[in-house]
Amino acid sequence: MIALAVFRLAAYIRSHRVHQALLLTVAMLAIVHGNRAPRGEEASVLTDGAILVLPVLAWAARSLLDTEPDRQREMSAVQVGGRGKEVAAGLLAAFAATAVLSALAMAWALLLGITGAPSPGLLTASFLLYALSALTGTALGALTSRVVLPSPAFSIMALLLGFLAMLLISGTSLYWLTVPLISWMKAANAGELVAQLPALGSISLAWCLIGLGAYVWLRRRT
Amino acid sequence: MRLSRVSFRYRRREPFVIEDVDADLAPGDVIELTGVNGAGKSTLLRLLAGLARPTRGTVSGRPAVVGFAPDRFPTDQPFTVTGYLRHMSRVRGRARWEPWAERLNMGRLLDTRLPDLSKGSAHKVGLVQALMAEPGLLILDEPFAGLDADTRSALPAIATEVAARGGVVIASDHQGGLRGLPGLRHWSVLDGHVTESAVAPPEPEERGQATVAVTVPLDELPRFLAGLRDQGYPAREIEEIR
Repeated sequence: MIALAVFRLAAYIRSHRVHQALLLTVAMLAIVHGNRAPRGEEASVLTDGAILVLPVLAWAARSLLDTEPDRQREMSAVQVGGRGKEVAAGLLAAFAATAVLSALAMAWALLLGITGAPSPGLLTASFLLYALSALTGTALGALTSRVVLPSPAFSIMALLLGFLAMLLISGTSLYWLTVPLISWMKAANAGELVAQLPALGSISLAWCLIGLGAYVWLRRRT
Repeated sequence: MRLSRVSFRYRRREPFVIEDVDADLAPGDVIELTGVNGAGKSTLLRLLAGLARPTRGTVSGRPAVVGFAPDRFPTDQPFTVTGYLRHMSRVRGRARWEPWAERLNMGRLLDTRLPDLSKGSAHKVGLVQALMAEPGLLILDEPFAGLDADTRSALPAIATEVAARGGVVIASDHQGGLRGLPGLRHWSVLDGHVTESAVAPPEPEERGQATVAVTVPLDELPRFLAGLRDQGYPAREIEEIR
């Protein structure tokens, strides 16, 4: 399964599709962190970066999963010993790609986005937040990939609308019905990011797992 | 390996593509699968490979290692032949692909990028990835299409070798490339039903075809259609008259 994940990552890199996601990430980070935020804004800057990079991560995951031709996906499933392992290898490769881009986003925010040094607690919370962002991007990208949504136009619309829906719902009292992006930002602005980490992190992780579970379920026959 | 009353359709309310197939595949079997285009050959191969789950019935006893060579190899991939086969070898636990590449005369193709391959050369890559792990079940979808004469003549011997070490080989084949093999089993797919015959059936195109209309009492229809299918005719209901 690891070898198949490596194969898919290699195809993603060698096809140059990775450059599209990388350039978009860099452009977005350059805009978001164009000016260093003043001391005391560390939590907000780190959190905003993790949320804003999410659609790019989802696009990267979708792009990686769509690199493989449909027939190769079938051959890969036979090679690796079943659909389940092929699906898992694809998700692993997609998460690896989003994790690298997410790490870049976090490093950029730490080095060029903030003035003061974050506390160890904030650093840990931010690390988990960027990891959850990568996982959310993987789930959203997988659910909008070609094998689930064959139409490219419908797929990219579903990706953007999915992100917007997460933003809109998480701004209401029903924030627990999705990955609570706005709740993360509110918590960071209020200086309660570390305190609310267990509750918001649990909700986020649960929705990521539900999204990935839905993808696996949708892939049971294709 | 056994198929028990296997039926398959792609979506609910759609007609079955494969219907009530019962079959046993024993170690050492080499099976030629024939049928007109759209009869359900590729779907049956996908069911055998485990790429599709039966809507009804079961497929049991599938060997652990399956090799699958598609009718059209997907060349739209950013690798050279060597790069691709190395990756596939790692997926297969570092299976040796080099002897197969040599046997299929691929020496000059190894540094070629996959998108630059001709149809026949790409087909060879598909065959090598299927053969490299010594499969217990080797599934070949139109394996002779586009191959050069040397490789065409090598394939029956390769199928015999796989069978000799206890593997099962099943090949959908319009070109009769395996027909010289002793003990070759002949399966025909007609309208989703599989029949086995002792001798290779001539292709319908060779004999000419005719479609006839027969009016049958409604309550006798299932038995009538089943009788025709048992005789190897692709029979189906067209309309119901009240």
